[in-house]
Amino acid sequence: MTTLTPTRGGTALPPPVPSPSAARRRREGGTILAVPALVWYLVFMVGPMAAIFVVAALHWPGMLQPVTFAGLGNVRTVLDDPVFWEAVRNTAVQLAVALPVMITCAYMLGYYVAQRPPGHRVVRYLLFVPGLISTPAKAMVFYAALSPDGLANGALKAVGLGSLTDAWLASPSTALGCLIALDLWSGIGFTAVLFAARLSSVPDEVGEAAQLDGAGHWRTMWRIHFPVIRDYVGVVTMLQFLWTLFGSAQHVLLLTQGGPGASSTTLSFLVYQKAFIAADLGYSQTVGVFLFLIGLVGLLLIRRSFRQTH
Amino acid sequence: MKLGKSWLPAHVLVWTYVVLLVVPLYYFLASAFKTNEEIFGSPFAPPSSLDPGNFSTAFQRADLGLAVVNSGLVTACSLILTLALAIPAAFALARSTGRAAAALEKVFSLGFLIPTFAALFPTFLLAAATGLFHTRTFMVLFLPATAMPLSVVILVQFMRTVPAEMEEAARIDGASTFAVLRHIYTPMCLPGIATVLLLNFLTFWNEYLYSLVIIGPDPAQRTVQVALPTLKAITGTDYGVLTAGTILTLVPVWIVYTVLQKRMQRALISGAVKM
Repeated sequence: MTTLTPTRGGTALPPPVPSPSAARRRREGGTILAVPALVWYLVFMVGPMAAIFVVAALHWPGMLQPVTFAGLGNVRTVLDDPVFWEAVRNTAVQLAVALPVMITCAYMLGYYVAQRPPGHRVVRYLLFVPGLISTPAKAMVFYAALSPDGLANGALKAVGLGSLTDAWLASPSTALGCLIALDLWSGIGFTAVLFAARLSSVPDEVGEAAQLDGAGHWRTMWRIHFPVIRDYVGVVTMLQFLWTLFGSAQHVLLLTQGGPGASSTTLSFLVYQKAFIAADLGYSQTVGVFLFLIGLVGLLLIRRSFRQTH
Repeated sequence: MKLGKSWLPAHVLVWTYVVLLVVPLYYFLASAFKTNEEIFGSPFAPPSSLDPGNFSTAFQRADLGLAVVNSGLVTACSLILTLALAIPAAFALARSTGRAAAALEKVFSLGFLIPTFAALFPTFLLAAATGLFHTRTFMVLFLPATAMPLSVVILVQFMRTVPAEMEEAARIDGASTFAVLRHIYTPMCLPGIATVLLLNFLTFWNEYLYSLVIIGPDPAQRTVQVALPTLKAITGTDYGVLTAGTILTLVPVWIVYTVLQKRMQRALISGAVKM
């Protein structure tokens, strides 16, 4: 977990060896103060997390219905359900499109901002805006923009492309695309600011030396700077992966409700829908377990592919 | 490095993205002062008047006033509880050199990898089991737990910078552990505490899914993020009211961002870097 431990100051380095008397003093009034925070954390976070695995093994057709042990029965039901496989496909498409596009664009945008071109302050201010807006507000922006009488169709009509207008959120072929667009719209800017902050800590001489050797910006960006912050890009990719994988439930709930049909149902929305709309609790948490495992495998894969090579 | 002619495509692409960020926001702001006919007829035209009618309609129909109070209450109480738990914990972890403390710190830093959404249903069961379902109290208890990993990890780093000699000097003067925390560590870590407050303010204020499921749709209790999407259903397609309501919910965040822009940017960046 070295890439995940904090980089500045703290845990990555062993603490300096204190003198014997200082060590004794520093231990006084010790670790007991950390207990309330730990208890809180275990009760409200770790406990519910573990409960997912228990509920996944139960047959529980509704809050007030009798509960019976199902063992692996839920797994079989889930794997036989075409809706589950459609959700798997949608999540795969969402991740396969959103993640690479977002990280690549954000890295280039971050590099651009870090070079301080004219107007970079304005750009930086605006890139942060999606990071501040709540999920419902973002969804309302997209709802207003993509509804049949909304901004997108208005713009298409204004430039004489009225034939291209569509009910974007209600059409099976575009609903998932709208959700991916929302991820990209809000994700690129925020991620770019993160990369820009990290890139500005790379000494200028590194880039200048490459320029003297005749390397252009494109080459400098990918061959010189990218390797320097490679592991950081990996960490940010992991985060975006988790946010996209688990966070999509809210966007789907607010914008498309998974439809039309199941064309925009993602795995995390399926967890929500089966728990709170269809009241099939064992099914829901079984999908939750799958989601958890996908998250774990994804994290390990990303960590592996961004491992520092030099 | 110099930016030559070859940068033209880069400028164009970057500013296109900036325009894509700004246009929906502008459209939102403009629509808040328009009627439906004006919005559909000329979506990009600036509003003809600055009539606040849509704002007051949104305010009344979705009970936004009450919702803002609820959100403020939940956010403030959760922030206080977060600090009350995280500051002593960070203090303990930063000062001790034992193996238990190191392990505990590891537990907290691994907490970043638990996506809060995953445990939505079990958390709902917990709320029901404790009899706190459909109350704001449960959210006030629950939200600090989600903030614990980030808050503890950030504060530990700040507290490590406090020199041990200061504590020793205070000890010689007879200060208790609590006095050391209160009079030495807390004042010296104010920037860290501010960072934790800002980051968590943003997450708590913007929290949606848990508030929806646990506090529920009762207008007397629901938060502003839960009230907002109901405008979509209540108003049918009255976009003016919908956009006005959305803007109202953004005001507190926008004020904080503008006043504390530099600090907020640093806080958000450090928050993500820690993960």
